[in-house]
Amino acid sequence: MNFANIYKKTRIWIILAVAVMLPFIVTNNYWLHIANIAGIFAICSLSLNLLTGCTGLFSVGHIAFYGIGAYTAALLATKLHAHFFVSLICAGIMAMIFGLILGIPALRLKGVYLAISTLAFGEITYQVFVNWTAVTNGTRGILGIEPPVILGIKFNNYQKYYYLVLLILVIVVVLIRNLLHSRIGRALFSVREGEIAASALGVNTVMYKVIAFATSSFFAGVAGCLYAYEVHFISPESFIGAESVSVLAMMVVGGIGSIPGSIAGAVVLTIIPEALRSVGDIRLVIYGAAIVAIIIFAPKGIGGFLEWVDGLLMGSRTGKKMAERED
Amino acid sequence: MNIIETKKMGITFDGLVALRDVDFSAKKGEITAIIGPNGAGKTTFFNLIAGFYTPTEGTVYFKGNNITKYKPYQRAEQGIARTFQNINLFKDMSVLDNALVGLHCRSKSNVLSSMLRTPGQRKEERAMREEVMEYLAFLGLDSYKDEKAGSLSYGMQKNLEIARALALRPEVILLDEPASGLNTQDLSELSQRILKIRDKGITVILIEHKMDVVMSISDRIAVLNFGEKIADGSPEDIRNDQKVIEAYLGKEE
Ligand SMILES: Nc1ncnc2c1ncn2[C@@H]1O[C@H](COP(=O)(O)OP(=O)(O)OP(=O)(O)O)[C@@H](O)[C@H]1O
Ligand SMILES: [Mg+2]
Repeated sequence: MNFANIYKKTRIWIILAVAVMLPFIVTNNYWLHIANIAGIFAICSLSLNLLTGCTGLFSVGHIAFYGIGAYTAALLATKLHAHFFVSLICAGIMAMIFGLILGIPALRLKGVYLAISTLAFGEITYQVFVNWTAVTNGTRGILGIEPPVILGIKFNNYQKYYYLVLLILVIVVVLIRNLLHSRIGRALFSVREGEIAASALGVNTVMYKVIAFATSSFFAGVAGCLYAYEVHFISPESFIGAESVSVLAMMVVGGIGSIPGSIAGAVVLTIIPEALRSVGDIRLVIYGAAIVAIIIFAPKGIGGFLEWVDGLLMGSRTGKKMAERED
Repeated sequence: MNIIETKKMGITFDGLVALRDVDFSAKKGEITAIIGPNGAGKTTFFNLIAGFYTPTEGTVYFKGNNITKYKPYQRAEQGIARTFQNINLFKDMSVLDNALVGLHCRSKSNVLSSMLRTPGQRKEERAMREEVMEYLAFLGLDSYKDEKAGSLSYGMQKNLEIARALALRPEVILLDEPASGLNTQDLSELSQRILKIRDKGITVILIEHKMDVVMSISDRIAVLNFGEKIADGSPEDIRNDQKVIEAYLGKEE
């Protein structure tokens, strides 16, 4: 076995091993919390990627689904003491229902008009969180979300919860990866690449846009649930429009359409502002500049860069092909 | 049997009559060519058959059923495949994936079985790949399966359009100027392939300007001029038709 083969077979396990070891390396509670938030946002940007990156439907209100998931989980946890996994699934389903409510009428709209309607949806959802006090408790938010208990294990610190987030992130990655490599995934891509050709081949483009909205909002809702259990307290501020832009930035910086990219984008853009906290408000400028720099110097995002590194380590594809042709 | 038939079909775009009163039929298992000068309405005719435009008058029949109101994807499901005059591939997808989209409506795994990769889904996926590789091999594209469609040469892109349409397992395939831009060697290969497609039992309707290709492979020819059908018949008939010679052949030579 040569290096390229070993690399190819082991890279995913190395990454997983590092992820599993992380809480032993980073023992500081604050940074573990940041790691959990990064993992949660990774799920969120992966879900947006399904809609925007893969299907080509722009959403600037994605945080609304995350918020709906978070509120659903928070209410289930505090009012009904629901099991964590019940909350998780219900959060996803509730977000998905709203994804369908937004998605079906929005499908008549194209490009920037769709983007504006998702922006409006995000704003409306935020206003509902603030004003529907009977349910959401308004700006005071929902307090007292108990740590999850699974098989007798209480996930009552950042370190334990880290592993729960990691587990769900891995599951989401596998599910989305499988989906993208199936006929459903190809249909989603075909909608992005050219609706006319897609429909000429029998793809019901309207239905696949609805599917994109539904699956994307489901996973955003799942991320929202994880967030609620991470912070034990949610309030509308976490779901303002600017957060939607952050998720969009994570996806773009990560590389549109790339799974590793979406994760990397979320990790990088969660860590940068935290790492720069000591330098004061100028961090916002640095954060913005970093995004612009990545978009300019790596138009395919971090995902494109990772692919390039992959290519180098495995011997570039063109190189391999030339070798094949020679013999 | 007439597999495709139009009755008094016409379409008007903002006052411009692109097609008028077209009575057309294509027999099952034959190669029917549609010829006519630039702007005659040939591509518009395909768009009406494939459902991308709805006629402002008249009806479209497929195997005797009125399909005038069907959407493009429904007509594809029924078995009408098409290629595009201006190549319309999924450029950022691989050659293999382009062709696999063709099999989309012949497969049925759903969102859940795909996410979970159930045994049934995996089996279907394997079978799809095998089938699609046959179409790619038929068009000489099998060794390019992992390339991005957009990175293929012009001629190969045109071939991929055909492979993708074949993957739909169509009963009728509409080819819009498959020969344009090809060199002489590719041309004879193309003619052979079109004949083979017909021999598999697929009805071919072909728009083409290259007269040698049209005359050598067509069973029947229909001629459009300024949005009207001015003639149809065997290649012999068309060659000797006075109207056609005036309107079209005469002008070109
Ligand atoms: N969507 C549309 N809107 C307005 N006019 C259209 C539309 N589609 C086609 N036309 C007009 O209909 C006429 C026929 O066009 P069409 O593309 O069918 O010609 P064609 O016979 O395919 O020509 P060519 O040989 O150049 O491909 C043209 O005058 C064209 O401008
Ligand atoms: Mg044309």
